[in-house]
Amino acid sequence: MNIHFKMSQLLRQEVLTRLFLPHSFAHERVGFLSCRVAATVNGMLVLAGDFHPVRDTDYLEDHSVGAMMGPAAIRKALQLAYNNACSMFHVHCHEHKGRPGFSGTDFRETAQFVPDFFNVQPALPHGALILSTDSAVGLCWTGQTNLPLPLAKISFVGEVLKLI
Amino acid sequence: MNKSTLQRQRFLGPNSDDILGRSRIGVVGLGGGGSHIAQQLGHVGIGHFVLYDSQSLDETNLNRVVGGTEKDVSHAIAKVSIARRVINSINPHAEITEVQGLWQTQPEPLRDCDVIFGCVDTYQGREQLERFARRCLIPYIDIGMDVHAIDGGFSISGQIALSLPSRPCLWCMGVLYEALLAEEASQYGAGGGRAQVVWSNGILASTAVGLFIQLVAPWHTQQVLPILLEYDGNTHAVNSSRKERILRRMKCTHYTADLGDPFFTLTSQGDLNGDQNYVYDKSA
Repeated sequence: MNIHFKMSQLLRQEVLTRLFLPHSFAHERVGFLSCRVAATVNGMLVLAGDFHPVRDTDYLEDHSVGAMMGPAAIRKALQLAYNNACSMFHVHCHEHKGRPGFSGTDFRETAQFVPDFFNVQPALPHGALILSTDSAVGLCWTGQTNLPLPLAKISFVGEVLKLI
Repeated sequence: MNKSTLQRQRFLGPNSDDILGRSRIGVVGLGGGGSHIAQQLGHVGIGHFVLYDSQSLDETNLNRVVGGTEKDVSHAIAKVSIARRVINSINPHAEITEVQGLWQTQPEPLRDCDVIFGCVDTYQGREQLERFARRCLIPYIDIGMDVHAIDGGFSISGQIALSLPSRPCLWCMGVLYEALLAEEASQYGAGGGRAQVVWSNGILASTAVGLFIQLVAPWHTQQVLPILLEYDGNTHAVNSSRKERILRRMKCTHYTADLGDPFFTLTSQGDLNGDQNYVYDKSA
């Protein structure tokens, strides 16, 4: 199955700007992208629509990781997925150029909470996206107990069309 | 494509061969405009094509369809098959999805395209294609030409429009408007086609391909991507529309932010486990 993830350059810029804002104790910021989906010939198209940053007060103070979301952050994201019948992708940024990668911590943490979205939206895929300053990588879950699949293609659409 | 085939276009960037080779391009309508576009995209090294046209070649097409022959007319060869033959004669490795039919009946291959070229005859066709492209965040490049009777002869004109998500649409540009669609609907079924000529089709198609390349492999850091270009076939000039400055400040209100297929469910997607288990990056 090929999963193609797309977002506009405008939205990407907004996400990067807001993720780079300093936080009083968290070393990095995270958020969620609410997405819509459509079927393609051999997979699906995931289309990011809106960015929902985790609120300042919803981070936990944990210096062993860049950012630790508290239960309120997850609960609000689940509520959003339920209310809007949308697919949800967790997003954060690695501050460098070139293709980023999921660290062991990134993988372990996302694998813990992303499957929970199937409790509220079981018919839609959910996942996680890591942006760098000029690239991206992502994982997509197609079921609560399925292993995640890598995003086969990521596109940023705007006056420059970036295909990753 | 062979590495040396594209060496004369390396100024498009060190990764341009790869970007173009990975691009999946939809061409809807393979008549006078679309056949030129398909041929040029074959030359620049596009790796994946999705081609739509419901018609077969007839003798009235021979004045402009690139690659079309008398033999094709006598065998009633589909226009999509002619385009495939032209592309494959340039790049035998290009992957081509060919649909002899309306795109609306098989939209799935089109959804996965990185860019769609609309080379359709009708305004309603343009409206539907642009709406579809917006829902899937696909840049849409529209070309069209017309010939009007004026005092003392005829005027050839046309346009090349680049419709990007969150930028002005064909309605904002004035390419589409209600009266035009209503007039077209009132003439539905009327015989006779619009006047079309190969040289004007070629100019519009070449400019459209140039816009596409500028989008995926910009060759200048200060590039300004046009929104609407107008073609005057009597002076043989292509210029930015006089509306361009207004369009640059305009926020499109014709399309909402609706994306994707509202009826999509995972249960209709077959095998979801796949075989591409992810291994995390131990160095990250």
